Amino acid sequence: MSETPVTEAQIQAFVDDRLTPEREAAVAAWLAQHEGEADRVRAYREQRDALRAGLAPVLDEPLPAALDLRLRGAASARSPAFARPAVAAAAAVLLMLGGAGGWALRGLDMPPTVGTAALAREAAASYMVYANDPARPVELAADQGAALDGWLSSRLARPVQAPDLSKAGLQLIGGRLVPTEFGPAGLYLYRDEAGQRVALYVRPMKVDGTHRMTRREESGVPGWTWSDDGLGFGVFGAAPADDLHATADMVRAQYRAT
Amino acid sequence: MMRSMQPDAETIAALEPLIPPMRRYARALLREPEDADDLVQDVLERALARWQQHRRAASLRAWLFAILHNLAIDRLRQRKRRGRPEPIETVEDARLATPPEQASGIEQGDIMALVASLPEDQRVVLLLIGVEDLTYAEAAAVLDVPLGTVMSRLSRARERLRQMMETGEPAVPRPDLGPDLRIVR
Repeated sequence: MSETPVTEAQIQAFVDDRLTPEREAAVAAWLAQHEGEADRVRAYREQRDALRAGLAPVLDEPLPAALDLRLRGAASARSPAFARPAVAAAAAVLLMLGGAGGWALRGLDMPPTVGTAALAREAAASYMVYANDPARPVELAADQGAALDGWLSSRLARPVQAPDLSKAGLQLIGGRLVPTEFGPAGLYLYRDEAGQRVALYVRPMKVDGTHRMTRREESGVPGWTWSDDGLGFGVFGAAPADDLHATADMVRAQYRAT
Repeated sequence: MMRSMQPDAETIAALEPLIPPMRRYARALLREPEDADDLVQDVLERALARWQQHRRAASLRAWLFAILHNLAIDRLRQRKRRGRPEPIETVEDARLATPPEQASGIEQGDIMALVASLPEDQRVVLLLIGVEDLTYAEAAAVLDVPLGTVMSRLSRARERLRQMMETGEPAVPRPDLGPDLRIVR
């Protein structure tokens, strides 16, 4: 004889373990005397558990980059104008420029994916991966300089060469080809007297074909980017930014002279 | 003031744990992983753009799931309008299902197909409460319906699912999602 009648809502709440202890005990007692209802509750719980188990693997899947707020946070810190209208406007401009513009529309959450901002990221990433690689920082060493220049020029479809940076105290170690979403890029690595590495990164540009010298910091790696006549450059390294600036000026001057 | 969409550490800490559940709910509704993740990305965009609003909501989770739910229903309607077939028995079942090892004998692949064949309003209640563990009040807020409606939908969903399981119906034929598909705002 139950004081309070058991409701359908309470049966559901019992399935979901959401009743107060007193009420739960009361419903349990009631179910003990109503076999059919108890079967129903059991079936509901089995359903729920099966459904949970069926969907559980989704929780364990690695998060795609597009859903990684930390990646976005890092990106946004570099581009304060991240509000949607600004991005939309930028995307519209890029569309007019054509070429890689479609990328900007691809995901609003992505950092700027074109121009020297993208180049800066690539350059810093290449620096981090290769500059301090103890085994094989370069694919072709400085003693094969001509072959290196020829190889990179042919893959970049632009004449490039390792500038002479000895006046900045930098000796060429060698270079390698780096893949980017815009095609191949070239990476030259230099070393100063203390053994610190400086990277010169170069690739053709569809967006920001000519862009001023800009100070960058990507993932803690300082550097400078600029572009001239469709060829983009990044100078990144562990050296102080002023030293890197001087080096970057030297590179730019040599390229402009050719 | 136009709020910048760059999340600070506090915002990330609040949002991050809710992303996997949102993926799960999106996956359960849309069933196509890319589509579902794309949807969650949309939700994050909106949530960050309107971040201040969530403080007025009952809970961050309910607020996010409300955004997610409404966008998901929009997408399902678009699919329907474009005549895109609702993927009920796609490869997803294989991906969603874990090896059947439980004593109950319910095959998880089966239950996914059966749940997919429930009317939309019942299916979402089952997922929000049974899987996402939203409170009844949160589910009511997400669906913007009275608590009593949530309870009756939950009850009907469970009973219908039970009957389908007993009769083994109907993974096929595919239900017409039309009448049941409505925006619950």
